[in-house]
Amino acid sequence: MSVAPLLRRRSRPHPVLRRVVTDYRDEIGILPTRASRRWAVLVGIIAIVLPWLLSRDLQPPMGFPWSTWSQVINLTLLSALGAAAFNLLVGYTGQLSLAHAGFLTVGAMVVGAAGVKRGWPLPLVLVAGAAVGLIVGVVTGLPALRLRGPYLLLATLGVFFISQLVWKEFLVANFGFVGMQVPQPRLPSWTAGLPLFGTDTGQGLVINSNFRWYILLLPVCGLTILFLSNLTRSREGRAFAAVRERDVSASLLGINVARTKLLAFAVSSAVVALAGALSSYFLGARGEDSFPIQITLNFAIMIVVGGFSSIQGAVFGAMFFHAMPEITKWLRSEAPVLRDVDYLQDHAGEIDLLLFGLLVVVVLMTKPEGLTGLWRDVKGWFTRWPFTS
Amino acid sequence: MGRPVPRGGPVIIASAFDLSTNLPLIIGGIALGSIYGIVALGFVLVYKSTGVLNLAQGDFLMLGAYFSVTLLVTNDLGLLVSLPLVAVSMALVGLAIHFSVMRRLVGQPFFSIVLVTIGLGTIIRALLLMRYGPIEKGRLGALPEGSFSLGSTKILWANLIIVGIIGLLLVGFMLFFRFTRMGLHIRAVADNLEAAAAQGIKPDTVYAMTWGVSLALAGIAGLLFGNVNNVTPQASTIGLAAMPAAVIGGLGSLGGAVVGGLIVGVFELLLGYHLGQSWRQPAAYMLLFAMLLVKPTGLFGRRELDRV
Repeated sequence: MSVAPLLRRRSRPHPVLRRVVTDYRDEIGILPTRASRRWAVLVGIIAIVLPWLLSRDLQPPMGFPWSTWSQVINLTLLSALGAAAFNLLVGYTGQLSLAHAGFLTVGAMVVGAAGVKRGWPLPLVLVAGAAVGLIVGVVTGLPALRLRGPYLLLATLGVFFISQLVWKEFLVANFGFVGMQVPQPRLPSWTAGLPLFGTDTGQGLVINSNFRWYILLLPVCGLTILFLSNLTRSREGRAFAAVRERDVSASLLGINVARTKLLAFAVSSAVVALAGALSSYFLGARGEDSFPIQITLNFAIMIVVGGFSSIQGAVFGAMFFHAMPEITKWLRSEAPVLRDVDYLQDHAGEIDLLLFGLLVVVVLMTKPEGLTGLWRDVKGWFTRWPFTS
Repeated sequence: MGRPVPRGGPVIIASAFDLSTNLPLIIGGIALGSIYGIVALGFVLVYKSTGVLNLAQGDFLMLGAYFSVTLLVTNDLGLLVSLPLVAVSMALVGLAIHFSVMRRLVGQPFFSIVLVTIGLGTIIRALLLMRYGPIEKGRLGALPEGSFSLGSTKILWANLIIVGIIGLLLVGFMLFFRFTRMGLHIRAVADNLEAAAAQGIKPDTVYAMTWGVSLALAGIAGLLFGNVNNVTPQASTIGLAAMPAAVIGGLGSLGGAVVGGLIVGVFELLLGYHLGQSWRQPAAYMLLFAMLLVKPTGLFGRRELDRV
């Protein structure tokens, strides 16, 4: 897609037309109307103010937990990255994959081999992780050229098990049985001079607190997710959707199906490997059982709850996935009746798991568009307000 | 000639072709594989007649295994009583799943339904953790210990009994599919839904029946599995080995599922013994890749035609 339409100056439309979508260019635009631009500004302000508020020592009423949220937000960013990439492949291109936990291990292995063993700087490790992920994604995507539906699903499940095998061998060969310890990353020395975040020591910033992680993760994850959602607006993105609907018909439209599928696998895998590398740094220690199949299933839960076939849905889903356990934890410890039920206290994790399972089933049965659809409905209700039924 | 042999090479090669080490493995593999076989049979049955790819089959297997913990260990009921009890209770769970969830999803996209089964699996895992806790339960120990010798090989009684039970079960199923009205209906719906419905067969009843039968099979497999392996919440991934078994046999073929299960079971144990235990889980998938490369429809599968 050329850049020209984005740069071309348009004559100023009528005030009413500025609030609605009028042509296809608007329809695929990232911020087509005035309202959506205002929302974007609002989200931007929240994204900047929220961590600052979280780093204050506030005491909200009813013992609502405050300081834990900064970690929740970082985990949300990492999961949103993974879930968005998963959604690009599964929801948008319609290629079922259970290999995504394996792509995370690819990122972790690059961190282990390059970052920990050889001491490469963080940005280089991240780029290398994404590059290796790209190659692994192309290789994993090869079965997708011939297989479809259940066969592809099982082939990717096989890729996952093979990645588990490789990961275990890698850990034993390089780090022994204790697992991999990842040191806190240090940014290049020019970051010392940054306003607000910089250090006085003249050395680079060491990412050692949740707040510093946030200022690292927000641009990396934000830009990558923006890239993914821009990709879905381009010709390639429309080709993805066409392949999802019916790959034979897509080929009749002149879409190179093989190339499109491989591209989707490659991009998805590269981004997930990037998320794996980042999360290895963020979590610090990675062992043999750090990447179970449940991680892939969690991505699936996120995109279902958030609403699949939109990148926004993955972000919503990731938010929900990490916020809900915190909220149930708070309810368990503070809410008047729930506080006294021992059963709830003893089975905290299991009940959260149960709620997620129920949620997936209920969402798919009643509102397949997920949170995104709910959000659109609420927005539509207010937009159309006195004419809402 | 005279090429240097890597250290340890001759030993491995020698043991890989030694019949006296391999024969017990093959027999154990047949027992394990027959468990895979009936799980795969339930999986194929549901896939063929309802079109649902059931990713929760491993969790259903664990549900059956934990039911048998309650029956065999807590209540000490004995194998002959618990086996039908597990089958019946699992069949009821299957009916409940069909009437509460699956029935409302008919006509939804393939992928949504796969995700629903992931959700169902998550619910079952959570309920099992809440009821039985995360600590592993050990083996159930309902099958007799010990072994007998046949020539120079020792055969475990447990393996023989497992193969026997599953053999009887399969004969029963064959008779059911061939000679009963319900079996005929299931085969008809699996073959062609619209034609079957036009003949007056109720797809809803058949769907409910298939879910019941599929879960009963998973339950019996869970009970037998719990007698040769530890019952843990993590073991549900082992149920995932049944899916490659189904594809190797051909996704559309009921008999192929059993044959695929046997092949996977034997291959898995052989590979695990000669190359190390961590190769056991990928083993089934390596076979799967080989099969997809050579014959994507599986051993007994038919080629599916595509309509644009």
